[in-house]
Amino acid sequence: MIDDHPMIIEGYKNTLLGENQKEYQIKIDIASNCDDAYDSILKSSKTTPYDMLFVDIKLPPSSDGTITSGEDLAKHAKELLPKAKIIILTMHREDHRIHNILKNINPSGFLIKSDLTSSELLLAFNNIVSGTPYYSATVNNHFRKMMTNNFSLDEKNLKILYHLSRGVKTKNLPNYVSLSLSAIEKRKNQIKEMFSIAKADDQKLLEEARKRGFV
Amino acid sequence: MFRFHIKYACFFFVLYLSSCQEDKIEYKGGDELRFGLIESSLKEAKDKKRSLKERKESLKEAYAISSTLDDGLYKLNQFREISLEYYRVKDLDNFKKHNDKTLDLSIILKDSLNMAKSYFLNGLYYRNSDLGIAYENFDKSEKIYASFDKANNLDPLLYAYDHGKVLTDLAKILRKVKDYSQSEGLTIEAIKKFKLSKNPKYLPLCYTNLGILAKYTERYEASVDYHLQSIEYAKNTNKEVFQTIASYNNIGTVYKSDKKYKKAEEYYNRALSYNDFLNKNPKTFALLLDNLAYVKFLSNDNENIPEAFFESLSIRDSISDIQGISTNTLHLAEYYKSNENDSLAKSFAERAKNAALEVNNNEELLQSYELLSEVSDNENGLVYARKYIRLSDSLVKEERAFRDKLARIRFETEEKVQEIAAISREKELLIFAILGLSVLFLLGYVIFRQQQSNKELLFEQNQQQSNQEIYRLLLSQQLKLEEGRKLEQHRMSEELHDGVLGRLFGVRLSLDGINQRANDGFTESRNKYIDELKSIEKEIRLISHDLGTDTLSPDIAYVDVVESLVSDLCTVHKMEFAFANDENIDWETIDDQKKVNLFRIIQESLQNIFKHARAKSVKINFDYVDDKINLTILDDGIGFKSSKVKRGIGLKNITSRVTQMNGVVDFISNQDSGTKVSVGIPI
Repeated sequence: MIDDHPMIIEGYKNTLLGENQKEYQIKIDIASNCDDAYDSILKSSKTTPYDMLFVDIKLPPSSDGTITSGEDLAKHAKELLPKAKIIILTMHREDHRIHNILKNINPSGFLIKSDLTSSELLLAFNNIVSGTPYYSATVNNHFRKMMTNNFSLDEKNLKILYHLSRGVKTKNLPNYVSLSLSAIEKRKNQIKEMFSIAKADDQKLLEEARKRGFV
Repeated sequence: MFRFHIKYACFFFVLYLSSCQEDKIEYKGGDELRFGLIESSLKEAKDKKRSLKERKESLKEAYAISSTLDDGLYKLNQFREISLEYYRVKDLDNFKKHNDKTLDLSIILKDSLNMAKSYFLNGLYYRNSDLGIAYENFDKSEKIYASFDKANNLDPLLYAYDHGKVLTDLAKILRKVKDYSQSEGLTIEAIKKFKLSKNPKYLPLCYTNLGILAKYTERYEASVDYHLQSIEYAKNTNKEVFQTIASYNNIGTVYKSDKKYKKAEEYYNRALSYNDFLNKNPKTFALLLDNLAYVKFLSNDNENIPEAFFESLSIRDSISDIQGISTNTLHLAEYYKSNENDSLAKSFAERAKNAALEVNNNEELLQSYELLSEVSDNENGLVYARKYIRLSDSLVKEERAFRDKLARIRFETEEKVQEIAAISREKELLIFAILGLSVLFLLGYVIFRQQQSNKELLFEQNQQQSNQEIYRLLLSQQLKLEEGRKLEQHRMSEELHDGVLGRLFGVRLSLDGINQRANDGFTESRNKYIDELKSIEKEIRLISHDLGTDTLSPDIAYVDVVESLVSDLCTVHKMEFAFANDENIDWETIDDQKKVNLFRIIQESLQNIFKHARAKSVKINFDYVDDKINLTILDDGIGFKSSKVKRGIGLKNITSRVTQMNGVVDFISNQDSGTKVSVGIPI
C-alpha cells in the first residue's frame, strides 16, 4: 500500500482486515513515498513478489527525481512485478487524468477516493482477487462517455478542453499543451466540427463539451 | 530680456503710428458738404467778371469753412489756393496773412515742399518793403529746395521751377547789395533749374540779370552777349517786344559805360523804333529818350540836346515818374554844368536831390550831392561836399552791414535747415530703429514660440512617460497582488486536496471499515454520518478545485485594473455598473500608451458622469471588431445637448487622447436619455 497519508492506509487496513475478511491471509507492506515504494517493489520482485499494489497517484517524488507520481511507480511495478494486480486509488477525477491512467497503466482496479466506501473497497478487492477488474463509478462513467460518443478525443484535445474550461485563454494554451497556437486553433475548430457546432465561440464549445462529458 | 524689447518696440510703434496718422487725410461725416462749399466759394473768387470786393468776400468764406477742416493735405491745398487768390486780387495783407496760415499748417504736417513755397511767397511780400526779411524768407525756401536736391528723394521736376524763381529773387537782392559774384552764381543756378523744368518764362530775366552783373564787373562784351541771349529767350513769347526794348536799352547802357557812345546811340535808336509799344508805354519812351540824349551829350554831339532832355522830363512829369525825374534832372544838371551855367545846373541838381531822396535812390542822391558841391558857392559847396562824404561813407557801411546781415541770415537758415535735415534723419533713424526692433521682436517671438512649443513637446513626452510609468506600477502592483493571491490559493487548494481531504478520506474509510464489523444495531445511523463525511469531502474537493483553478493570466490584469477602477469609483459614488471585456482582445500585445489612454478615458468619462449626468447606472464595454477596440461608456443620466455644451476640458482631454491614438470618438447624447461615449482605437 503506497500512500503518503497514514490515515488513509489506516482506513485501507481497517477495511481489509475487518471481521468479514477472514478467508484471506493478508500481509501488508506500506510505503509513504516513491523511494520507499520503489525499494519495496524492487525487493519483493527478488524475493516474494507482491500480489497486489494499492497505489496513490499523488506521492512525494523519489529523491533522484525519476519517479514523480504513483503513475510512474505503477509503470515500474508493471515491469518488475508483471503478475501483481495494481489498484489505483486517487483523489483526481478529471477525465483527462483518468483517461491517461487507463491508457498508460491499465490497472486492475481504478478507484476514485471520493467515491470510495469501505464496502466498495472490499467489493473491488474481492473482484480483483478473483480476476475481475474493478473501476469506480466515476471511471465507468468515463468509459461510458467515451463509448456514447461515436468519436473519441485524444489526450491533447482533452487537455485543450480541460484548460479552456479552467479559464485559460486560447493564446496561452501553448504554455499548457505542447502545441503551437495555430495547431491549437486547428484542433479547436476540429472539435467544434465534431460537436457539429462549427463557428461557435469558446463558451458554446465548453458547454457542449460538458454536455458530452469531455470536461 | 524679451519683455524689455517688447516694451520698447511697442513704444516706438505707437510713436510711429501717431506720426503716421498726421499724414493721413481723414474724411469725416459732413466733409463732402464742406468740400463742396469751399470749392464753389473758390470758383466764385476766381471769377474775373465779379468785382474785387465780391471776390474777396468769397475768399473769406472759403477760408472760414476750410479752417474747420481737420489738418491735412486737403486743408493745406485750400489754404494755399486762398492765399494765392488774395495775391491775384492784390489784397497783399490778406495774402500775407493766409500765406502764414499755410506755412503754419505745412510745418504741422511736416510738408517741406509747401513750407518752401510759403517761404518763397513771404519773400515776395517783403521784396519791396524789407530786403532783409525778404532775403531771409527766400533763403529759407532755397535751402529747403537745396536739401531736396541733396536727399535726391523727390522728383526734381516737381520743384525745379519754384526753386529757380527763388534763386532768381535771391540773385536780384544780392545784386542790389552789390554782392555781384554771389548773385551771378545764384543766377546761373537759377538758369539751370529753369532749363530743367522746361519752363523758359524767367530765362530772359535771368540773362538780363547776368548782363547787368557783367556790366557792373566791367565785362562789357559778355554783358552785351547776355542781353542778346535774353532777347533770344524772349522770342515767340508775349513779352518779346518788351524784352527786346529793355535789352536794347540795357545794351545801350553797357556801351555807354564802355564809353562806346556811338554803339550805345545805335541800340537806343533800335529800341526807340518800336513805336507801337512806346506809344502805350510813355515811361519807357521817356527813359529811352533821356538815355539817348545823355549818350549824345557824352559824345559831345550836342545837337538837339537840352530839348530831348526836356521832352523826356515833361513826359516824366506828366506821369509823375519820380525815379525818372531824378535821373533826368541829374542829366540836365550835368549838361548845364558842362556849359558852365552853374545856377541852372544847381537848380536841376537840387531837384534831382529831392527826387532821389523821395525814391530813396542813394546812388543818384550821391551824384546830386557831388554836382551841388561843385556848382554851389564855396560855403554851400563845402556843406554838400561833407554831405556827400557822409552819405558815401554811410552807404558803404550800410552795404557792408547788409551783406553781413545776409551772410548771417544764410548761416542761420543753414543751421535751421540742417536741423530740419537732422530731424528727418532722426525720423529715418527712428524708422530704422523701429524696423530693427520689430524684426528683433519678431525673431524673439519666433524663438520664444519655438522654445514654448519645445517645452510643450517635452512636457507631453514626460507626461506620456509618466503615464506609462504609472500604468506599469499599477499593473505590477496588481500582478504582485494577484500572484500572492494565486500562490496562497494554490497552497490552500493543495493543502485541502492532499492533506485535509486525504485524512478525511482515511478517517471515513476507517470508520466505515469498523462500522462494517460492528453489529450493535447503530450501523445504519453511523453510515448516515459516514455519508455526511463523504459529502463534506466532496464539498472540500470542490472548494479546493475552485481555489486551484488558474483563472489568472497576465492579460487579465489590465482588465482587472480597469474593473477595479470602475468598481471603486462606482462604489464611492453609489452607482451601479456593468463591465464587459471582449475575450478576443489580446491586451498583452497592446502597447501601454493605448492602455493608459483608454484607462484615462474611462476615468475622465466616469468623472463627467458623476459630476453632471446624475446617472443611476453605467455600462462599460470593450469590444473587438475588425482589428479595432471599441470602448463604449453608456450611462442613463440626464444627458446634454451636444450643441449647447461648451466643450469642457474633460471632453477635450478625451478627444485629444483619442486623436493621439489615431482613433475616433463620438459623444452621443439625447436629453433625458443618457450619454454614450464611443471610442474606436485601431490596434
